[in-house]
Amino acid sequence: MNEFLQQILNGLAIGSVYTLVALGLTVVFGILGIAHFAHGSLAMFGGYLTFVFSTSMGLSFFASIAMAMPVGAVMGMLIERLAYRPVRDAPHINAFIIALGLTMMLEGGNLLLFGADQVIIQTPYQQVFDFGGIFVAQLRMVVIVTAVTLVAVVTLLLLKTKTGKSVRAVAQNRHAAVLMGVNVNFVSSVVFAISSALGVAAGALIGALLALAPGVGESFAVKGFAVLILGGLGSLPGAILGGLVLGVSESLAAGFLSSAYKDVISFLIMILVLLVMPQGLMGKK
Amino acid sequence: MRRLISNPLMLSILVVAFALAMPHAFKSPYYIHLMTLALIWIVLAQGQNLTQGFVGYVSIAQAGFMGIGAYISTLLTINYGVSVWATLVIAPLLTGLMAILAGYPSLRVKGHYFSIVTLAYNMVIFIVLMTFRALTGGEAGIPDVPRPSELTLFGHVLSFEGRSNLNYYALALSAAVLATIVCALILHSRAGRVMLAIRQNEDLAEAMGVITSRYKLFAFVMSSILAGLAGTLYAHYIGFLNPEPFGVDQSLNIILAVILGGSGTLTGPIVGAVSVTFLPEILRFADSFRLITYGLILVVATIFLPKGLVPLIASLWRWLRARQSIPSDNKPTSKA
Repeated sequence: MNEFLQQILNGLAIGSVYTLVALGLTVVFGILGIAHFAHGSLAMFGGYLTFVFSTSMGLSFFASIAMAMPVGAVMGMLIERLAYRPVRDAPHINAFIIALGLTMMLEGGNLLLFGADQVIIQTPYQQVFDFGGIFVAQLRMVVIVTAVTLVAVVTLLLLKTKTGKSVRAVAQNRHAAVLMGVNVNFVSSVVFAISSALGVAAGALIGALLALAPGVGESFAVKGFAVLILGGLGSLPGAILGGLVLGVSESLAAGFLSSAYKDVISFLIMILVLLVMPQGLMGKK
Repeated sequence: MRRLISNPLMLSILVVAFALAMPHAFKSPYYIHLMTLALIWIVLAQGQNLTQGFVGYVSIAQAGFMGIGAYISTLLTINYGVSVWATLVIAPLLTGLMAILAGYPSLRVKGHYFSIVTLAYNMVIFIVLMTFRALTGGEAGIPDVPRPSELTLFGHVLSFEGRSNLNYYALALSAAVLATIVCALILHSRAGRVMLAIRQNEDLAEAMGVITSRYKLFAFVMSSILAGLAGTLYAHYIGFLNPEPFGVDQSLNIILAVILGGSGTLTGPIVGAVSVTFLPEILRFADSFRLITYGLILVVATIFLPKGLVPLIASLWRWLRARQSIPSDNKPTSKA
């Protein structure tokens, strides 16, 4: 039983990172209809950047993340402006192929800048707490708290600010929003900045919790989309629930079945959900 | 000459004749090797084009299905002594069977999400090939994959052994021609028309009473059968099999080939496959930038050349013809 609870707790930590990745994907998809597949590779770039800031400049973990997030936001805005905006009125498939091209470029760039060796971001949060037989690593708690805070901040931004309101207006009805005087280009830039900054934070958390390596970004992008499929497209609570479900089931699979096949199992869950309830856990019929 | 080019049948005969003459013109074994690989890639790209170009659903699992074909064929020949000639038929069909199982759930989602699910398939296939060592040999791979046995044709004994073998080149060429013919037949059939209708407006096609899921599955399975054929040809040509060429990166390269040539056309995948095979040779000076360059080409081509190289080549050809004919027309006037 303890082992079971232990695995669930581990799953919640990684699941909260999945939610963070999925949140970045879902705001972009909701506003611009783009499956921004390069998100995972951009997150890895952010993770590497955090690593560089903390090792070479001696900054603390959170200071490094805070330095890396604006860099990621600027990159996201550039990507939107240079790569996605030219194909905004073309068929959606073109934007997706561009996303694949951007993934190749970012992966290639990461490889060139940071090498092929795996990198782990060292943090001072190395304590382990014992709660009646269940061991809780401090780092996992830090990861969960950071992810929850970021999700809450972004949700508040979207719900309470004027810019957030215009973002939601564009998501609901682009043409009506334009007629009401919403600047769609500005909204697109803002959305990409927020999404990419979230991605950078997720990349840093992944680097601390697991490791950064070539190809990890792609697998996180796929898992982010798996979360969206699980939770139901365009549903914010769905993204949160889906992320936690995916993280926990993956962690249980790794603990009790086979750690080599844990990714296979998480994809099987996604395929099963598609078969049984294609609208996802929280999606509308 | 112009009449020859504009007639598709004559054009294809010209292309095949050119492909047959190629090895005799370029005697270098290295070029024959590259051309053989390019022909195998044509099979792969024609398959990819069925889903990506005709139906408008980008599958990111083509390299994975290529791997399934390659491994099925290799394991059948090595473990059960099945002839390569038999597995050239069996392996693609078994790959198609796998594609039915994979396609049924994934085609329930539309657009981007289908792509993501197929990407997950490719990852699963890659993980299984890497981890299931008892069967696949893992990363160390399977050495000594046999070539097809000798064939006696009209009294000639054809051997397929050795690097840059001309008979294997001919085998790959016939596969590429077969794949192109199959795709042409599909395109001009009712199924092909429905596929194009799905690409243009899936909801409308459904409203007209077409069971779109059936046609999408058909395209996906045919595409995978061609991938399986390409994988079989590849495994028995290279002679050594490990999971490396069947990862997600390779699937992205196949998408690049179709986009670069021109998706939704029959000539596009041919041009794209040959370009992508020869691209690393041209970009050899920038090997560490290869991934970035490929990605950049993909982005730039999608923005500025969404129809691919083929229409560009065609208009370039027309422009050259026009330039040639204008001076001769103008000569009398300039004299006067």
